[in-house]
Amino acid sequence: MSTLKEKIEKHLLEVQKPSRYIGGEVGSVIKDKSKVDVRFAFCFPDTYDIGMSHLGMKILYSLTNERENYWCERCFAPGLDFEEIMRKNDIPLYALESLDPIRDFDFIGFTLQYELSYTGVLNMLDLAGVPVFAKDRTEELTQIVVAGGPCVCNPEPLADFFDIFILGEGEEVNLELMDLYWEMKQQGAKRIDFLRRAAQIPGIYVPQFYRFFYKEDGTIDRMEVTDGAPEKVTKRIIRDFDKVYYPDNFVVPFTEIVHDRVSVEVLRGCIRGCRFCQAGFIYRPFREKSTDTIVGETRALCENTGYDEVSLASLSTSDHSEIDPMLTRLIKYTEGEKVNLSLPSLRVDNFSESLLNKIKKVRKSGLTFAAEGGTQRLRDVINKNVSEEEIMSTCRIAFEGGYAAVKLYFMMGLPTETDEDIVGIAELAQRIIDLFYSIEDRPRGKGVQISISCATFVPKPFTPFQFEPQDTREMIEHKQKLLMDSVTSRKVKVSYHDPNVSMLEVILAKGDRRLCRSIYTAWKKGCKFDSWSEHFRFDLWLEAFAECGIDPAFYANRRFEYDEILPWDHLDYLVSKEFFIRENKTAHRAVTTPNCRERCSGCGVNKAVGRECFAKDQSDL
Amino acid sequence: MLRIRATFEKKGRAKYISHLDLNRCMLRTFRRSRLPIWYTEGFNPHPYYSFALALSLGYESSCEILDFNLTDDSITMEEVRDRLNAVMPEGMRVVSAAVQEQKITAIAKAEYAFSLRTDRPEELFSAVEELLAAPEILIEKKTKKGMKTVDIKPDLEVLTCEKADDRVDMIMYLPAGTQTNYNPSLFIEALKRVTEIPFEAEDIRRTAILCADNSPFK
Repeated sequence: MSTLKEKIEKHLLEVQKPSRYIGGEVGSVIKDKSKVDVRFAFCFPDTYDIGMSHLGMKILYSLTNERENYWCERCFAPGLDFEEIMRKNDIPLYALESLDPIRDFDFIGFTLQYELSYTGVLNMLDLAGVPVFAKDRTEELTQIVVAGGPCVCNPEPLADFFDIFILGEGEEVNLELMDLYWEMKQQGAKRIDFLRRAAQIPGIYVPQFYRFFYKEDGTIDRMEVTDGAPEKVTKRIIRDFDKVYYPDNFVVPFTEIVHDRVSVEVLRGCIRGCRFCQAGFIYRPFREKSTDTIVGETRALCENTGYDEVSLASLSTSDHSEIDPMLTRLIKYTEGEKVNLSLPSLRVDNFSESLLNKIKKVRKSGLTFAAEGGTQRLRDVINKNVSEEEIMSTCRIAFEGGYAAVKLYFMMGLPTETDEDIVGIAELAQRIIDLFYSIEDRPRGKGVQISISCATFVPKPFTPFQFEPQDTREMIEHKQKLLMDSVTSRKVKVSYHDPNVSMLEVILAKGDRRLCRSIYTAWKKGCKFDSWSEHFRFDLWLEAFAECGIDPAFYANRRFEYDEILPWDHLDYLVSKEFFIRENKTAHRAVTTPNCRERCSGCGVNKAVGRECFAKDQSDL
Repeated sequence: MLRIRATFEKKGRAKYISHLDLNRCMLRTFRRSRLPIWYTEGFNPHPYYSFALALSLGYESSCEILDFNLTDDSITMEEVRDRLNAVMPEGMRVVSAAVQEQKITAIAKAEYAFSLRTDRPEELFSAVEELLAAPEILIEKKTKKGMKTVDIKPDLEVLTCEKADDRVDMIMYLPAGTQTNYNPSLFIEALKRVTEIPFEAEDIRRTAILCADNSPFK
């Protein structure tokens, strides 16, 4: 009988980018499996090119592999061409380091980064030969299917498929979970015993111990907890972020991936409080790394991987308290080593001239502003605290500095939005064009180019807008047409997202357990890679919802009441529901809330953590 | 400045690294090695290096050639080899490093070895012999200007053709270099067209890069 590796190799040249399926990359960790106690398959429910770009995987992969007796391997969704070959030739989904089937692993862990990857999870479990429903898995202690990542803040639509959800940051709790597993494995414990004990670890949510009952109107009536699991599961955070584990090496892929560079995380959390932004709330509190740590990690990673590009990862890099000295030191290093430095996530309002000059030294590409709303009133509603003067003054600096292309991101369908706000998008773009031509020393030889990218607003759990309905498709189509009609200049290009995609996103984001069946049905009908427009089949999703008795509008277009039990109310992300209600009300009055550095808005995270977010010295608390 | 020619192997899993990816991979390998590689001068300086021949995806090789320059003349060839090998990906290994002797244009041909796996080696062997004895071997070759029919017979030099229990093993020279490049899959396709006997080509590997007089390219 041929080995799995031989079976894979027999067909590898028939598929696109075969190096994605065979491992062997520099930086990948190979261990002697006879000396390993617990094996963890870190699965990303999308293709290699996307999954390999994910920073969380890099961190947890290296962290787990630091432990001699644990082995973490990588696993991605195969492309359609290879999936067909795998199914035809009985090649089970395997991990890239050992090329062993992941069904034999102790943990099968998924990271849930976006809702549209959910069908990918089911497809990967199926390809692995692991029962997709948790209840159908063995009673033995093996094949524990777990998930982490931002979507775990409302994991209910996936509750039937997972044994465990891990809430919050994984650097500590993942190892605690594996330690418990190994301890109980040696004692010959069963799966259920392990799940019961695991549920006692802070941050561990075992969905099968929670039952939901619904009212006649479809909302949640009550929740019942069994097996001694906690009533509320609280997310985990790393207290001393400057000392948190960070890898000094990455797996360096052969094929080009989406983010093909060194990434250094400079801060976690966000002080801004934009009311639509889930990341801005679920990653609180704000914590940053010191300049020394950032420079040291940059150097180690560049040297060990050989990458010639490094990017700073965070929600808002310019909010780092030492941004100027940090960039000065980083640029000194990167210039000396001929490394390119890229700085995504810079905000408009604190975009100083000296900062711009620093970036310009590094690379001259376009500028991107997330204005999000077309009028000041709407920007106040969403608490995107950026004024038109700030946008204009930044554009002026940029134009004078030689930039001629500006990208503007907006959302459509925001709460309280009117036609005036939509027309405001076009007007803002026009004023930027006018500004460009009013500048004496504007870049010559090329015209200004404004790209407007319009996403449909998706209300998300754990945001002040979690209660909000999404605009219906008709409303969105009306607004899109209005915007197109309002844009008269050929210097402005407008692009949209498919509103159907956004509708599915909100259903999966705000859904409850009754959606598990629909996701299963949609996948059975052939839905996968839903985030890829060429594979997205909304018709099949609608069929699935209809067959499962689900009304999509109940989740997408209904206002969730303040006093309603939300599907995620039993999960605690340290920011209180009272705060979200307060912020929601403030939003409807079009009143802004200052950022955390200016004034604490009482979201509750400081109480939960037991210290002020911006105390003078964070380390002594 | 030291003009280096490294000969390296590309085997095992490394055979799935495409030529385009190999370029990027080598850039990172150089950076990891911290060898004093010479950068091009100009607006966007980048390390200068080039591969003598591209290798088809899925082929192994024991003789790939990589040229680059070092700014430090005092470095030994052993050190170059060892420092690269310390940071090469699995399956890739520098066999030797030496100062460049010949121009890249001196490359005329390459030696390839491969096996044709089959249940009917006798018959396949006869089919191969028949094909080799034919007056011409026409193949469709993709060129920059579209598909073109060429006769590979005049350029094909077969060194070995042996039958075993479950396969036919072949070694051949094919033209390579700046002018004409044929690879064994052209021959294999030609064979597939003239015989009904099922077979699969396996273990295709480049085993030598040669000059017109069959001497190794240095």
